[in-house]
Amino acid sequence: MNREIYAYKCKRCGTMHYPFRMVCKECKQNDFFEFDTVPLPKNGKLLTYTKVYNLPAQYEVATLGLGIVELENGMRMLGQIEIDNPKMGMPVKGNVEVVRREDYDDFYGMVFRDA
Amino acid sequence: MSVDLEKILRPVDTPMAPYVPKYMLLASGEAVVVRPVERDEIPDILKHVEPLLHVERDYYDVVGARLYSELLAHYRHRYQDQYVLAVQIDGELAAVVNGRQVNPKLGMSLHTVALRRGLRVGAHAFAAKMEYHFDELGHDEVLVVAESPIGFRRWMIEYKLEKRFEVPHELGGVPSWALTRELFDAARSSLVVGRRPVPPELLDKAMDKILPPSDPPTPALDPLSATRSKYDPTATALMVERWAMERAEEASKDA
Amino acid sequence: MRDVYVAGIGITTFTRLEFALSEIASYASMMALKDAGVSEVDQVYVANMGAPRVNHQTALASAVVDSLSLTPAGAAAIENGPASGGSALKAGFQAVASGMEDVVLVAGVERMREVNNLEATDFVATLTHPIAEYIYGVTLPAHAAMFTRLYMDKYGVTERHLAMVGVKNQNAALNNEWAHLQQEITLEGILDSPEAMTNNPYVAEPLRFFDACPVSDGGAAVVLVSKEKALELGRPLIRLSGVGQATDTHAVHERVEPTDLLAVRKAAADAFEMAGLTPEDVDVAELHDAFTILEIAESEEVGFFPRGEGHLALERGDTALGGKIPINVGGGLKGRGHPVGATGVAQAWEIVTQLRGDGGARQVEDAKVGFTCNFGGFGNNVVCLTFVRED
Ligand SMILES: CC(C)(COP(=O)(O)OP(=O)(O)OC[C@H]1O[C@@H](n2cnc3c(N)ncnc32)[C@H](O)[C@@H]1OP(=O)(O)O)[C@@H](O)C(=O)NCCC(=O)NCCS
Ligand SMILES: [Zn+2]
Repeated sequence: MNREIYAYKCKRCGTMHYPFRMVCKECKQNDFFEFDTVPLPKNGKLLTYTKVYNLPAQYEVATLGLGIVELENGMRMLGQIEIDNPKMGMPVKGNVEVVRREDYDDFYGMVFRDA
Repeated sequence: MSVDLEKILRPVDTPMAPYVPKYMLLASGEAVVVRPVERDEIPDILKHVEPLLHVERDYYDVVGARLYSELLAHYRHRYQDQYVLAVQIDGELAAVVNGRQVNPKLGMSLHTVALRRGLRVGAHAFAAKMEYHFDELGHDEVLVVAESPIGFRRWMIEYKLEKRFEVPHELGGVPSWALTRELFDAARSSLVVGRRPVPPELLDKAMDKILPPSDPPTPALDPLSATRSKYDPTATALMVERWAMERAEEASKDA
Repeated sequence: MRDVYVAGIGITTFTRLEFALSEIASYASMMALKDAGVSEVDQVYVANMGAPRVNHQTALASAVVDSLSLTPAGAAAIENGPASGGSALKAGFQAVASGMEDVVLVAGVERMREVNNLEATDFVATLTHPIAEYIYGVTLPAHAAMFTRLYMDKYGVTERHLAMVGVKNQNAALNNEWAHLQQEITLEGILDSPEAMTNNPYVAEPLRFFDACPVSDGGAAVVLVSKEKALELGRPLIRLSGVGQATDTHAVHERVEPTDLLAVRKAAADAFEMAGLTPEDVDVAELHDAFTILEIAESEEVGFFPRGEGHLALERGDTALGGKIPINVGGGLKGRGHPVGATGVAQAWEIVTQLRGDGGARQVEDAKVGFTCNFGGFGNNVVCLTFVRED
């Protein structure tokens, strides 16, 4: 299954947002949910990253890679990274996968790998 | 006919290669020495473990009580194949670790107690005992448990220990975790440090005398206040502490 | 608007405290009320972030006001992440400045050592964006780490600069009997020796253990009063002269320039404007060094140093006691500890101590103007305050 994460495009001015917000940042339009959903691109370049060693309680892994990626369309998002030697500016490719399990719930998010 | 009962009661220790002392620099810039403790030095350590029996936080009480009994039993020949390492800063006792050999291939980690906080001396001490199990005693695996969350973080998480839940650990019969040689080798570069040989002046200072810890963990005024205040937010703990303070004040006035 | 003065201050030791949450708040408050010489107040604000989640207690202010026997005074808790303290001070300021109240007690408190470290990390991480950040396992150290990498790349900040901030602040705490950490550290031990990588491991690359503040319990309190009341009480006249608060995007990745802390910039500028001061006027400052990088970045954003030169000022010793603008002389969050809800109030406590000349070994000579920056979220909710001693 090809899963997507969506950006929200203002119906009035076209500005794209991720994550969802109630009011457009650009034109401050106030009509309820006046956004179109647009899948976020999955390719981009790694802006910054870290490897975390002190994870919150629910994780069973010892370390976790995280990064902020600038996507092809210029938008940015945070995701997990599974890259051995990350470098700032390197091209990456995302995939929507389970990023956290809590009790009986699975949470999906973007995982980036070497492009 | 006289029976030498002591001969029956006293376990015969398997000969074990001695731990080779090492030293390292701490975050404070101080040098710390890790070295084996002889049986006749045990009373010098017991003195500083005993007060921990009353420190509830981080399970110093449980760990302290168990450690005390193990050390005492070791001293009085009622514990088989136990070893004890001391970590000393300028002679001062900063941490104690102990463990034992179950068989020539298997080690059992007993306790790690830090008497100086905030410098990872506990972590260094634990690393030293694992080094002893694998490098000197030639064990393939060491069974470990943690009593406290900080212990869990230091051993289970930092070393990525494997579960051996089918084996109840000697400490309280709780499920065991295992450090395998493979995991240890993987952790070596980041967690195990130390330099050998120890410069003679440093080693002499450490061997000469186990000095008291300068800033050991101390009990709260009310011995079980941590547990109590958790379940009783209605200020009983504060009241009890206040009484204790008043008593202490009066006692000092009388004196 | 009326002028607002700090008539009394109080604090508890920051460490692991084996008291109930409301007791910690009450203890600090008792000290502040005693210091001010008042036994009745019009309003109580209690800053706290974690009571419902960590301590299983809600409506904390009602517990505190009653435990202090201050009923029927008004009371409310203020939860605003790590900026709860600054936000409660702002509320207290508004109450007095508006003329509505004459005496307001502002307490900040947190008891996060009641749970273990893993749970505490998770608890603080819940302030991140739930969908775009939290689910990924983002923690505050992770945000700070990603920010640090950008900062290093852009401005040439190195791990050594970060370690220098850590050493400066943790060792400064040795002069503060209320501070959590009472253990000296050295650059050799945490950076240069062969054991440094083990003594000072990464928590979130490139940030290391000694780059982060410890997890602490603790409380702090101040009494805010009108000028009339301040004169009547006769304590040194310390005026809370400027208040600024600003926000930024919740998700960090949405910020146009990821190395900018616009909320810090705006909150500081507003506070200075209200007070009629400039950054050059400040004699002593408390910045929110939950991570060492933040002291450097904030020292630029609030206007003490040009952008990208905070680390150079640090190298010159400008931010140390005796330097041009001493920062975090009481240890900061790094050395004093960071009970999240208490921190903003504790910063005010330190500044008032300084302006009264009660700083002892850490006293900044002839300090007249003080500044605090209380950084909430990851920089998305910030309160800055200025304090002035009036002779
Ligand atoms: C488990 C143990 C051996 C680990 O020892 P260690 O590696 O030396 O680590 P420490 O216990 O000193 O680490 C915690 C200290 O680090 C310091 N610290 C924490 N965060 C810090 C930071 N960001 N910056 C600087 N110092 C910090 C604090 O002083 C803290 O002490 P506190 O909890 O009193 O505030 C030790 O905690 C201990 O003896 N605990 C009791 C017994 C026990 O649990 N044994 C293990 C059973 S399995
Ligand atoms: Zn729009």
